[in-house]
Amino acid sequence: METELSLKKNLYMARTSVTTESNKTGSWRFLRPKYEEKTSPCSTACPAGEDIARIEMLITQGAFKEAWETILRENPLPGVCGRVCYHPCEGRCNRREFDTSIAVHTMERFLADTAARNETKPALERLPPKGKRVAIIGSGPAGLSAAWFLNMLGYDSEIFEAMPEAGGLLRWGIPAYRLPATVLSNEVARLESQGVRIRVGEAVTASRFEELKTSYDAVFLGCGYWRNRALNIPGEPGQGVEDGMSFLRQLRQGAKPDVTGVSAVIGGGNTAIDVARSIIRLGGRAVIIYRRRREDMPAFDEEIESALEEGAELRELLAPVQIAAIGSDCILTVQQMKVEGLDRDGRGKIVTAGTSLVEISVQRVFVATGTTAVEAWHEPPPAAEAGDQHNASVHLYLSHCTLQQEQQGTPIIYGGDLTNTDKNVTQAIASGKQAAMALDTLFQSGADAVRERLSACLVGEGPSLSMEIYMNGPRKERKPHIVSYQEINTDYFQFEPRVIQPRLLIEERTSSFDEIELKISANTAMREAGRCFNCGICNNCDNCYLFCPDVCILRGRDMTERHIDYDYCKGCGLCVVECPRNAMTLGEEEKL
Amino acid sequence: MKKVLEGSHAVAEAVRLARVQVISAYPITPQTHIVEILSDYVTTGKMVAKYLRVESEHSCMAALIGAQSSGVRTFTATSSQGLALMHELLHWASGARLPIVMAEVNRALAPGWNIWNDQTDSLAQRDTGWMQFYCEDGQEVLDTTIQAYRLAEIVNLPAMVVLDAFYLSHTYEPVDVPEQDEVDRFLPPYKPAFILDTKHPYSLSPLVTPNAYMEMRYDIAMAMDDALEQFDRVEEEFAKIFDRRYGAVEAIDCDDADIVIVTSGTVTSTGRLLLEELRPRGEKVGVLKIKLFRPFPVEAVRRALGKAKKVVVVDRNFSFGASGIFAQEVRAAICNVPGHPPIFGYIAGLGGRDITVKLLEEIYFDVKGSSAPRKESIWVGLQEVNRAT
Repeated sequence: METELSLKKNLYMARTSVTTESNKTGSWRFLRPKYEEKTSPCSTACPAGEDIARIEMLITQGAFKEAWETILRENPLPGVCGRVCYHPCEGRCNRREFDTSIAVHTMERFLADTAARNETKPALERLPPKGKRVAIIGSGPAGLSAAWFLNMLGYDSEIFEAMPEAGGLLRWGIPAYRLPATVLSNEVARLESQGVRIRVGEAVTASRFEELKTSYDAVFLGCGYWRNRALNIPGEPGQGVEDGMSFLRQLRQGAKPDVTGVSAVIGGGNTAIDVARSIIRLGGRAVIIYRRRREDMPAFDEEIESALEEGAELRELLAPVQIAAIGSDCILTVQQMKVEGLDRDGRGKIVTAGTSLVEISVQRVFVATGTTAVEAWHEPPPAAEAGDQHNASVHLYLSHCTLQQEQQGTPIIYGGDLTNTDKNVTQAIASGKQAAMALDTLFQSGADAVRERLSACLVGEGPSLSMEIYMNGPRKERKPHIVSYQEINTDYFQFEPRVIQPRLLIEERTSSFDEIELKISANTAMREAGRCFNCGICNNCDNCYLFCPDVCILRGRDMTERHIDYDYCKGCGLCVVECPRNAMTLGEEEKL
Repeated sequence: MKKVLEGSHAVAEAVRLARVQVISAYPITPQTHIVEILSDYVTTGKMVAKYLRVESEHSCMAALIGAQSSGVRTFTATSSQGLALMHELLHWASGARLPIVMAEVNRALAPGWNIWNDQTDSLAQRDTGWMQFYCEDGQEVLDTTIQAYRLAEIVNLPAMVVLDAFYLSHTYEPVDVPEQDEVDRFLPPYKPAFILDTKHPYSLSPLVTPNAYMEMRYDIAMAMDDALEQFDRVEEEFAKIFDRRYGAVEAIDCDDADIVIVTSGTVTSTGRLLLEELRPRGEKVGVLKIKLFRPFPVEAVRRALGKAKKVVVVDRNFSFGASGIFAQEVRAAICNVPGHPPIFGYIAGLGGRDITVKLLEEIYFDVKGSSAPRKESIWVGLQEVNRAT
């Protein structure tokens, strides 16, 4: 301790040059804070495992290209998914408990549209060539995804597409008002420019399939479900009875069929809804006939809502019994159903209500009650046959695809609708990614290694997988722990309304196939992304730095890296408490 | 240039002219107008300063202690509960010898919640080592704020410029606002006696043993004594440029007065009106305005009161269990003067109640008719209240 007499009058002041640096107060610590990034619930809910918390953070910084590239690491089709994905991410958004979820799908579409408008080229890591070739059957979301990720992992692949244009269901099964052709063709063109090869107009027959097995190192089957499932009732097939998938395909091929009068659409899935909405756009009336209730419909709720807004009629609890052609009309006979208890899936059990039948007179009937594989050999071997291995052949039943390798033969991997329980675009993309990872592991380390390797790449609790983790990207360090709403320090957030995506007027929607949802501005996107809690990841907000009473948060030169000075950190835990997004953890100090 | 200014804005103009570099404040009525307009000055670039928003008055003073230690001129304004919350750090600021300047708007302390004029808030801080100046009008508060920086930086002590709530803070008066170059001539840039410097690191205010503490305190006492002398020199220099002078005390018609009424703040102006009322009627009455309260101008007070037969102190404050605080100070100042006059203490105008010429006149005649004080403190103007419940 020193005291000095100042030269100034009456200014005897205590001061010292003795530093307290030798007093390493870190030795007092029994709790240890650390930076530990965790998993956001949205990313684990995303079938493609997109790093949504980070994507939103990048948008708030105006780093649109980096945000878009972050999507592309997990999903090659953001323009498509920003439009047609059912966005389960938003359903698990922690912000829902605060006000409303982040409009994640709107942000995804914004990024894709911005990149397309600027013809941005992504700069993504790619592993060195492995010298192996994979044949991919079908250029739908599963096939495109498999090709993209195999390409990333260093494989040559070729997609065989029966139709004259790529896209599969995206091109021929989803109406233009949900997914304009240019959006898809833009995405496909980008994949091609990145090295994905697509051979259109080349249908793969059973015999061609055998040839592919010999000339490629592996074959991916992602040719989807295109055969309409029949109702198996009298009058089908028959006059005035059409199948929903064929109808949608004709529309995408440019046909404008006459649908004047009333059309019955049988089914409760997305195809049924798409058919009904297309009929309305062509000037007809549509009545959706469903044997269960609206809440049981597998179609996305927002799509059902839109269909009803546009004038589609929904008649629930009616099961078709027969269809009879009378002149140019059809009489659809239906049985009234009712709910009685629960079935095995926990849905309401549907039983017949009385014996009386109802006759509905319509001009035509569209059957859209589901689809199945076109050829028997498209189907993966049934799981009941074996476990993972038998008779020296490999049968791996993974969450999104099935890998089969008969006794040293060429590995065959089935994906997309052929294997997915939930049959939709994003799950198909997930299966393509899983197939690429599984094949790579198979080639590199053998079949026994596949399950373990894939389970190390789960996002949070899974089943979604991360290619970034597979390729040892930054997300590898992130803890699987999923951040809960209770772990967010909501003191740092304010209520803010969710972005409202502008849409065409009902009158405009019902008279054209123009895309319904309109663009949003960059400012709007940044504001919406700014609502994101960024659960579990550090966005350099510096609360830790500001609150640390011991000046123990050390920042790197570029202000992006932060470290804790454990020589002096007393383990008070303020930094962890004040972290708004749970990107820090307080644990017990290890005992020496 | 003459402008019609609110008292609060006169303070703000002075702060701007003093080229203050860091302002920190937390709003509280009736002070808010001061920092409100300062934040406007900073935002619009009318003033180049850093404005720190803080979550309490305690943090505000802590922030200024840090800022001033790094060698910049600082300012804050507060009132009542806000000043009370700063208390701990008021001691720190003076102990650390930092010439921070504060505007303090006299407001009553709660409960009951009262935002009106009362001096107890600032007088309760008399032992914190801050200089205190009680101002009478808008011009004086502007001039005193500029002078306070000069004086504080000479003696290395913090200063409180005190103004009455509403009677001064919210009243518009013509005020001569000096030109910047004039103020620059009077108030040179701040040259700190010591600063925290990362190139030559040391820490200030470490643990001090009994070996050194008393000497440090003694130096504060010496600095306070010095301030009394320096005050006159600062006023002298100020008068040379601006031709205005106030004095540590102002004795008005005291030379031949039998009874001198001691006042502070805006009540002095009421006292001036009282003189206009009573002097023509042949009453030998004077008024002693006390502007400088810390350091207390003992000699000047003794001189002014030496000829009086009776001294009346009107206090708009009260020290419970004792008396009006100005009365205490005046008694202490003259008690060692042989044959000093008796001191009549009156308590008036607490919590914003008006002190009128009529009230002062009643006090005067009460004193004139009494040979000795009936009580230490006589509360005037009390009304009948229902104490039943």
